[in-house]
Amino acid sequence: MHIHALSGDAEFLRILASSSFSGNIHSIFERTINLQCDQNDELYTIANDQLDNGPNTLVLDIKRFHETGLEVGDRVLSQGQTLQIGNKIEIAATQAKEWECTLPPYPSNIEILKVDIAFMKEYIAVHGKCGGMKRNSRPSTPFEAEMSNMLLQRSGLLREALAAGKSEEAVQYALGLVGLGPGLTPSGDDFLVGLFSIVNMPGAPYYLPFHFLEEIATEAKRLTNEISYMMVKKAVCGQVRESVVNLLQALSKGTASELLGALEKVLSIGSSSGTDMALGLVCGLELNREAGGRACLLKS
Amino acid sequence: MSIKVVIKESTYFDSVSLMSLSTKANQIEGVEQAVIAMGTEMNKEVLRNVGLITPELEAAKTSDLMIVVKAATDELCESAYVGIEELFTKKGDTKGKSEIKYATIDSAAKSIPEANLAVISVNGAFAAREARKALENDLHVMLFSDNVSIEDEIALKQFAHEKGLLMMGPDCGTAIIGNVALCFGNAVRKGNIGIVGASGTGSQEVSVRIHDFGGGITQLIGTGGRDLSEQVGGIMMLDGMKALDEDEATKVIVLISKPPAPSVEEKVLAQIKNCKKPVVVYFIGGEETAVVAAGGHFAKTTKEAALKAVVLAGANEDELNKRPLNWPLIEEVRAKLTPEQKYIRGLFCGGTLCDEAMYLAMDTYEDVYSNIQKKPEYKLKNLHESIAHTFLDMGDDDFTNGKPHPMIDPSTRIARFLQEAKDPSVGVIVMDFILGFGSHEDPVGVMLPAIIEAKQLAEKEGRHLEILGYVMGTDLDSPKFEDQVQKLMDAGVTIASSSTNAGLLAREFVAKGV
Repeated sequence: MHIHALSGDAEFLRILASSSFSGNIHSIFERTINLQCDQNDELYTIANDQLDNGPNTLVLDIKRFHETGLEVGDRVLSQGQTLQIGNKIEIAATQAKEWECTLPPYPSNIEILKVDIAFMKEYIAVHGKCGGMKRNSRPSTPFEAEMSNMLLQRSGLLREALAAGKSEEAVQYALGLVGLGPGLTPSGDDFLVGLFSIVNMPGAPYYLPFHFLEEIATEAKRLTNEISYMMVKKAVCGQVRESVVNLLQALSKGTASELLGALEKVLSIGSSSGTDMALGLVCGLELNREAGGRACLLKS
Repeated sequence: MSIKVVIKESTYFDSVSLMSLSTKANQIEGVEQAVIAMGTEMNKEVLRNVGLITPELEAAKTSDLMIVVKAATDELCESAYVGIEELFTKKGDTKGKSEIKYATIDSAAKSIPEANLAVISVNGAFAAREARKALENDLHVMLFSDNVSIEDEIALKQFAHEKGLLMMGPDCGTAIIGNVALCFGNAVRKGNIGIVGASGTGSQEVSVRIHDFGGGITQLIGTGGRDLSEQVGGIMMLDGMKALDEDEATKVIVLISKPPAPSVEEKVLAQIKNCKKPVVVYFIGGEETAVVAAGGHFAKTTKEAALKAVVLAGANEDELNKRPLNWPLIEEVRAKLTPEQKYIRGLFCGGTLCDEAMYLAMDTYEDVYSNIQKKPEYKLKNLHESIAHTFLDMGDDDFTNGKPHPMIDPSTRIARFLQEAKDPSVGVIVMDFILGFGSHEDPVGVMLPAIIEAKQLAEKEGRHLEILGYVMGTDLDSPKFEDQVQKLMDAGVTIASSSTNAGLLAREFVAKGV
């Protein structure tokens, strides 16, 4: 089977062009397949045409993967901008449109930002999915109730510690969120991705020093699964998927309807993942608004 | 109590599947609690906190899937786990039907191309935008949300009109489309009568009465309460009439509304002239002359509207049980009431049912007060205190601001009922009990203790308190119509067979010197 890549992460495309990618299929889902790279042990994703671009991701001209006959463990090799998976499929990346994650500058108009944050909060309250960071008013099990409590408590404490510039406490609370929650990418991870997206925006008034982010990235590896870890690791460096970038762009200089459209796209990610990320974004924005310019993390 | 644990090593499911599996696992019979989650340290901490951790779970790795089932016995745990395994097996089977939640109307419309209707119930601030999106996706819309601006309503209805789509609402609570009741509605027979209604419970009542007379419904199209206002101009009612006129299955059309704006009434009546099918018009408090002049069939009450519709649709009037008023009963009640007990107090969940009873009372009495009175001098100023004959629409914003509708939560009506029952000038308290989709699961049951208390109080004070109940529902509704009626009768409540009869009986019970 021969498939064309429609678009792809610029770095992934460069690796393919240099014929230096080899690995195995790590996991298979309806809309994505993850490949584990021999060279750097990172996960790379091939996605169907319904998904957006993202770090380490190729978007293919294919609707679903279950007809490809691919299996976990199948060998993957690149050759001249083509990705060969077993003898089953061949992915040509020659015409793929390059995508690079570039976060827009932090919004400069504080008054508009205030309104946008309020809007996002209200919209998430109405349209966001419960069960993760957004608490279900009637949790269905004691497990869900306890998990919601822990998510709420730890995210609140993290925000307080960050606002107060208490570095060590903040690291502990952030790590307390990693791997916590339902879903393949636990809610705590998604929340942190949202938060890190904001603090990585150029010109964001709130500064998170490298050692803080580095510690999270290092420790997260043992605290969450490999797929979610890749997402957190990339977000620590400001690498997030296209729908999140589009939302940040809409916040930065978009119209109200662009903001709405972009927020909806984020909310539609996964089950509650989009909502969890959006709440992380809101937390990051509020943190910047309240503590930006006067607090940054200090080693206590 | 027993706990079963299964660890699926290096197993990944996407988040949507995991959440869905978890929800379904908790619905399996015998399961007290089921957890399906990745084996991360933090998720294990949650298990520890809720007392579900086991050594096996402690050993799970971050890439493992943990399945935990808690049930009363080992056997139940085992059988529940078999059920969960089945869910995992079925997960890949895309042929079966399943419930999918979509985050946006766009994604739902793309995934279900055969869908042609969207029911929208979101915060009013976002409702117009969602409705527009649905219309852009060529979906008819039923918009349950209120607090939508009149400008948005006009724009949406004009847009729908241009696209040949129905825009039911905003604030549209009742529709029956393709024999499926949406939001609030009753289970009625399929038939050849189409309804376009600007008032929810009025439309419900007419559909229920049609069913009672042996007829049935093709479609019940709601318009939203403001459709027949001067500004909106009846766009949806006119489009609804046109749709039913073109619908082969519909033989008779019924129009229901609170009093429309005069200019809109003119437009609607003008369209009747162009209809190929007979049109019955029930505009509460409306005038017969103009309707008849337009070629329509005038109805003064909901019951008359239903009766005329079934007869026009082919029923033999002589064979119908028209459920006439029980005059011996009226005489009996009159004899029990003292001269001081001369007032009606109506406590209604349904706005149109309240309106109908109020208009029937106004035919006889001057001093009829209400929170929905059109005459300013008889509009209640203090909602907490009744004057003379008082009819309260307890589903109106006056009573529901920040509280659920009394069809769902009857607590406000219960308190008011007890207050009215203490008033020695009250002869009869009339109430509706609405059955069907969206309503309280036992509307009579929740009122019974208050009814019994009120009856005892009146007896202690040596007076008879007449309580008149109307159960709006059909033999197909849930909870069972007969059971609800029986409960009321057992508590000494007099039963009215229709909204119209409830209004007439209440009026006649307190009539003096006749």
